[in-house]
Amino acid sequence: MDTRLANTWRLTVNEKRFIETALSSGIRIDGRNPFEYRKLSIKFGREDGSSEVQLGQTHIMGFVTGQLVQPYRDRPNEGTLSIFTEFSPMADPSFETGRPSESAVELGRIVDRGLRESRAVDTESLCVLAGKLVWAIRIDLHILDNGGNLVDAANIAALASLLTFRRPECSLGGEDDLEVIVHPPEEREPLPLIIHHLPIAVTFGFFSSESLLVIDPTHHEEAVMVGKMTATLNANGDVCAIQKPGGEGVLQSVIMQCLRLASRMASDITKKIKDAVETYNTERALRKIKRHPTSITLDGSVNLKEKLNEPSGHNVVNELSRKHLEKPRLASAENASSPGNNGEGESKSSNFGRSSRRDGATSNFVGGAASWDPYSRGVDSDFLKASLASRGTLTPKKKQQDPTGERKPNESKPEESPGDVIPTTSAMDVSETGVHKGGEKTLKDAVKPKHKRKKKAFSSTADAS
Amino acid sequence: MEVDRADGRNPNQLRPLACSCSILHRAHGSASWSQGFRFIQTSHFYHFNLFVFTSKCYFCYWVGSGDTKVLAAVYGPKAGTKKNENPEKASIEVIWKPRTGQIGKPEKEYEIILKRTLQSICILTINPNTTTSVIIQVVHDDGALLPCAINAACAALVDAGIPMKHLAVAICCCSAESGYCILDPTKLEEQKMKGFAYLVFPNSILSVLPEGSSLVQGEPMEHGIITSVTHGAMSVDDYFHCLERGRAASAKLSDFLRRSLQSKLPGDLSKAE
Repeated sequence: MDTRLANTWRLTVNEKRFIETALSSGIRIDGRNPFEYRKLSIKFGREDGSSEVQLGQTHIMGFVTGQLVQPYRDRPNEGTLSIFTEFSPMADPSFETGRPSESAVELGRIVDRGLRESRAVDTESLCVLAGKLVWAIRIDLHILDNGGNLVDAANIAALASLLTFRRPECSLGGEDDLEVIVHPPEEREPLPLIIHHLPIAVTFGFFSSESLLVIDPTHHEEAVMVGKMTATLNANGDVCAIQKPGGEGVLQSVIMQCLRLASRMASDITKKIKDAVETYNTERALRKIKRHPTSITLDGSVNLKEKLNEPSGHNVVNELSRKHLEKPRLASAENASSPGNNGEGESKSSNFGRSSRRDGATSNFVGGAASWDPYSRGVDSDFLKASLASRGTLTPKKKQQDPTGERKPNESKPEESPGDVIPTTSAMDVSETGVHKGGEKTLKDAVKPKHKRKKKAFSSTADAS
Repeated sequence: MEVDRADGRNPNQLRPLACSCSILHRAHGSASWSQGFRFIQTSHFYHFNLFVFTSKCYFCYWVGSGDTKVLAAVYGPKAGTKKNENPEKASIEVIWKPRTGQIGKPEKEYEIILKRTLQSICILTINPNTTTSVIIQVVHDDGALLPCAINAACAALVDAGIPMKHLAVAICCCSAESGYCILDPTKLEEQKMKGFAYLVFPNSILSVLPEGSSLVQGEPMEHGIITSVTHGAMSVDDYFHCLERGRAASAKLSDFLRRSLQSKLPGDLSKAE
């Protein structure tokens, strides 16, 4: 008992008083103003569904995995979503292994309520075979560094990893269509989850002086504050959850002010998350395209290699055009970007999206992203039936990216897949690379970063050796 | 004998190493160690080819190779020891956190191995009746996980300032059916091979004393082996072959570790205010 007390970190009385006095003049000890968030950085790991979020000094990692299980008896058509929070002892000397502490359970419940009970993640689309097999999505949140305000950061980590998670595609087969075949990522492009809206948690801290409140408290401020409130809102202004566990009583007007502030913060953070996910998606798609030229030497790929040597003056133009192509798809649920590009981008992407979805085939990032669009209106049952029923006869006309035998090892291991499917033949590649020439913008964009990387590599060799 | 590895390396080639220290704010010491290609920024990027006696810094074309990344944090020394620990010595506590899933027997085994390894390199008599906690978080696993964790733990202990006799460098060697041995396998290679061994050596000494004064029974100290964990079956000759290759590789690993830790030192200690 003594040793545990000796090891906990406690704030001295002087520090407490200093923080409170500074706050009453509107100064926070890290220099922010009371309604300002710390710097938020969202990074993604190599695998789909892994994110690393840093909110000031708070550092959290989120991992999403999926498994095929039997559904609950009372909900035979819905998949499940479960959140596991690990308050790792590396985050704070007072966190211990073993039974989760109160605050760990509370954090898990707040994130859970925001995601599941507000129906942000569509669970009906996770059903594979009603009553028999559904996807169980598991979110693991690892708290690495406790710099205060774990709830918000954990929520962002959970959202970021859900948005980038891809689950393998399943189709029904076998005799009387009752056997479920899980396609590994080399065979068919894995699908993203359908997420209707992004619930963002915003935490407020209340202090003993009247109506003193701060947003995003650091762990010093958390040790001083007398009450806290977490409001989970989405960018549409809907309140998904409010949690005010005890603490000092607060005036109603203050609560309303908090909700107004929270909705403003929520739209900022939503935008940041979407930007980060967008860059990740483009990078991911580029990685897939990059693999082609190295694997097979065909006429198509030789041409691609020649394009590597194109002048870099095109780069800026291509960047912008690519961004415009990406934006309309993502903006379908919100305000549209410039109308001209919007129209052109959308028609192009919707064409490819529909046709590639129908075939259940993989698609490159222009067409593919439309069918991956997580901001679309929810489950389209036609699409669902079509994708479940179809068996990809990959038509050469569509832009595809079947990886060849050389696949990324870390992408090939969804836990539940049988893992014994033969990768698709390379006969497809001939036609694909031919088609790739057709979409000029995407190809140039695709090969350009690789070119840049090669240049960097050579320059580093020059420097180092 | 030439062997084709999936990512194009030759048998004695390690994956690119990257090590960063002091990445966490609350922990007293922290480090992340990754073997393999990674998009995220890291502090050093070196690539070693053992059959060429210089270390060439070229950017290898890791098309589709994975990476193993481990995060280690150290808290300590904290007061008190656990019940079954000797209170006359410092004790080390290791907590292993897997990427997903429950903690099970494999994690417990890793904890025990890591604890014994670290106990043999730390000077336990300096702070008796204290506990130093080492927490390992697996970020990504693509082969050679335990060696990566041991390297990360050593770097984190240095970052925390825990007194140690010397550092440890860990490497994984596989042996295949035909007797050849490859270093630093990926997960697929580990599964395909007949057997593999995780080997931990002391790091090489940079000393002002004349050569030969710090020999132990006629051999330099870094030839000693701290830990060896084997999986699968391999013949005795194969094992010794792996040991030799591992020792050669550990020299390069020590260099890398020394270089990356040295750059973290404060520039001029005499300029303290």
